[in-house]
Amino acid sequence: MTRFLLRRILGAIPLVLGIATIVFFVLNLAPGDPVSFFTSPAVTPEVLEQMRRNLGLDQPVHVRYWRWMTSMLQGDFGVSFARNQPVREIIADILPNTLILSVAAMFLAFVGGVVVGVLQAIRQNRFVDSALSVIALFFYSMPSFWLALMLILIFSLGARNLWGWPIWFPASGMTSVDYPFMSPGAQLRDRVMHLVLPSFSLALVLAAGIARYTRGSMLEVIRQDYIRTARAKGLSERRVVLKHALRNALIPVITLFGLSLPFLFSGAVLIETVFAWPGMGRLVYGAITQRDYPVVMAGAFMFGVIVILGNLLADILYSFVDPRIRYD
Amino acid sequence: MISRGHALTATLALASSLTACGDAGTPGRAALENLPAFCQEVLPRVDAFLADFSTPSGERYGGTAVVGSIGEMPNGMNAFVSSTVTNNQHQTFVNLMPLVRVDENLQPQPWLAESWEFNEDGTEVTFHLRDDVYWHDGTPTSAYDVEFTYRRAIDPQTAFPNASFWNYYDQGPDGVQVLDSLTVRLRMEPHSEPLDPWRSTAIMPRHLLEDVPPSELARHPYGSRCPVGNGPFVFESHRTDESWSFVRNPAFPEALGGPPYLERYVYRIIPEQTTLLTELLTENIDFYVAPGPDQVPQIEADQQVDLHVFPYPGYDMVIWNTRRPQLSDARVRQAIAIGTNRQEIVDAIRSGFGEIANSGVPPFHWAYAPALADSLQYDPDRARELLDQAGWTDRDDDGIRENADGDPLEIAIKYNLGNQQREDIAQIMQAQLEPLGIRARPQVVEWATLLDQINTPDVRDFDAVVIGWRVEFRLDDHEMLHSSSADDPFGWPGIQDPDLDTLLDRLQLVTDREEATPLWREYQYRLLETQPVMYLYFIDRLAGVNRRLRGVELDIRGEWASIQDWWIPAEER
Repeated sequence: MTRFLLRRILGAIPLVLGIATIVFFVLNLAPGDPVSFFTSPAVTPEVLEQMRRNLGLDQPVHVRYWRWMTSMLQGDFGVSFARNQPVREIIADILPNTLILSVAAMFLAFVGGVVVGVLQAIRQNRFVDSALSVIALFFYSMPSFWLALMLILIFSLGARNLWGWPIWFPASGMTSVDYPFMSPGAQLRDRVMHLVLPSFSLALVLAAGIARYTRGSMLEVIRQDYIRTARAKGLSERRVVLKHALRNALIPVITLFGLSLPFLFSGAVLIETVFAWPGMGRLVYGAITQRDYPVVMAGAFMFGVIVILGNLLADILYSFVDPRIRYD
Repeated sequence: MISRGHALTATLALASSLTACGDAGTPGRAALENLPAFCQEVLPRVDAFLADFSTPSGERYGGTAVVGSIGEMPNGMNAFVSSTVTNNQHQTFVNLMPLVRVDENLQPQPWLAESWEFNEDGTEVTFHLRDDVYWHDGTPTSAYDVEFTYRRAIDPQTAFPNASFWNYYDQGPDGVQVLDSLTVRLRMEPHSEPLDPWRSTAIMPRHLLEDVPPSELARHPYGSRCPVGNGPFVFESHRTDESWSFVRNPAFPEALGGPPYLERYVYRIIPEQTTLLTELLTENIDFYVAPGPDQVPQIEADQQVDLHVFPYPGYDMVIWNTRRPQLSDARVRQAIAIGTNRQEIVDAIRSGFGEIANSGVPPFHWAYAPALADSLQYDPDRARELLDQAGWTDRDDDGIRENADGDPLEIAIKYNLGNQQREDIAQIMQAQLEPLGIRARPQVVEWATLLDQINTPDVRDFDAVVIGWRVEFRLDDHEMLHSSSADDPFGWPGIQDPDLDTLLDRLQLVTDREEATPLWREYQYRLLETQPVMYLYFIDRLAGVNRRLRGVELDIRGEWASIQDWWIPAEER
């Protein structure tokens, strides 16, 4: 196992560097210049030239690439052009926010999706199955930003102002403005309340897909001989489904886990924008439009690393659910 | 498979990561150990200094006001990189102080400078600073700070975007002279509105930034991590892309209004307008900066919020590339200007919240020529006549005019991706110009690419472009309209007009407003005739404000000009 992990991690290094290199050159091919955003006629060409010098943009591309690569390998991502802050500091601020949101969304999506999928499979072709299928398709085919806006209008604006529901959720941000002055219990509650709408918006679309996979995979497994054997042994239906069938049915779902990580990070741009969640998607998207090369590069690097780690995690999970898979 | 035990661990892990992230050393402040060394040094000094002051008492004192806006303040409180209107207002009204302010009529008023005087021939100004203004770490603000700010601002190494504000000041070693710790004298060529740079640029603390090389000032942690100002609000914390928070400065001089009523002021970044509106209506924010005109009905319908409408020093316009053959004749540009129903555009795009513009001089400005309003009325028949006179007629009966060579009168109107208003402007113009025999084609380009196409002197790949513009109170169109700037990045129209040149040059040197007014009128009329750009409208700025927040006065100076007077009744805090 250790050897497998080492091999995978070592193999990932050239991959991440390759991604970073491609992103660097593609970005530099795009027209536009980071200093051109100072579109005020008060800015003289000399000042723009000096800004370029201060940012190191007066150097040719290959020199900049070499500088960037060498400093990045030493853990230095440079300084953001648009914010004039070290990229490392910005990422340190932002990355935890993204992790909170995506871990919560992943958790909701997989638990919810698997539960719904299993329910559908054991009630195949009955009313519950069809109803859940319709609901799952409804969410699956919905643009996530639209869903997000609807959730805000219903569970925030409508719930508070129109219908006076006892509970309503804040429409944006990670915490309330008086968060620092709350008791620890109230702080946790405040964070959870702020997390509900964005994580559900992200999770619903994903869960719908997972439910479809789980259902299909469960139906296949449930017809296998060993399930019949388990039933014949006189095991309870609950035990048959949860212990024997589900474990085998989860294998394709785990593949989905690895595959959905990039979706969570890129799909989060709109969700992060709608809910004013200060996350990586928003950061990198903003940086692309501003030609803030160092931030885009660092973002691409982080995405690469996280996706590779996620897939590695999926590989490890395989070995837990499927005893046939061994990495020795 | 996931057993119950695993699921429980996952939940707990999530819960602990949720609380761990919010850990802060002092309430409101980010943990010191996460900040750069510079901040670890200065922030405790700020806290120590402010601890000696008592909280002002009175029924208006107390409470937190929350402002919501779509944009981050990318360079924070660093006045040497001032890039956005919001940044600039926070520097001049919230966290730092400029030497002078202006009243709502744009007359300079004392602020950090208690008084000033010019010498006989207008070549020297002497500022006398207040003696009761302290940096938030306890250091007195002095004339040396002014000298430091001026020297850094004009130093090319700093690359301060607004350095050209001081173009008529003496930039040599003797240009600035500290007479004593509260008196500073600057030399200049006599010119119009010489005090304006001292209104728009806040004074920066010399004692903290003196040793920073000018080329590194922009990226110093001062700006976004731990600004130490001298204004009415003290920096508390900045969470990237999330919020800025400030607390009352209890040491702010009584003579300047004293400590503000609000105990705390929070600026929240919410990039989506629907969300902003929801947050305003659910009372999570008190002040929604610049709602869209389409959101006005919902704001007006709500009992708890007020809609404010106030003038803004910005306008939208269509820039003509006069280097293009079809746009080189002023008559064609005039024809388009009177053949475009601009009121219809204002009504459609801004729901009427805008005022037709005929030049870059805003209606609230003393240099504005009111009579101008009638001179560019919508008149499609006159537009057709002008086009005929210019030699553009429909020679092949396809509905589009051609010149003698048979080239059709086609104009591509570019706008930037994602800007709905500019897209609508281009499309309305397309529809309005078609009956005149002009084929206008809206064309969308990504923002950075568009800037590249229009700013690069040897490219200028555009016929027309819809763009928004913000003016300073000291008006100067040199970089866009003077013939000597035609090959500079912002010489977009490329207009060559000796009369405009003469007026532009003279206007910058007339020091007296009364003497300048007729010249400004002449200049505005010359713009009508030459039409290097088609001015569309001046924007009426909107704001949605919760009624619990009192004392909000909004005028041309911006959203934050009255922040010292904002207050919240005790029962609504």
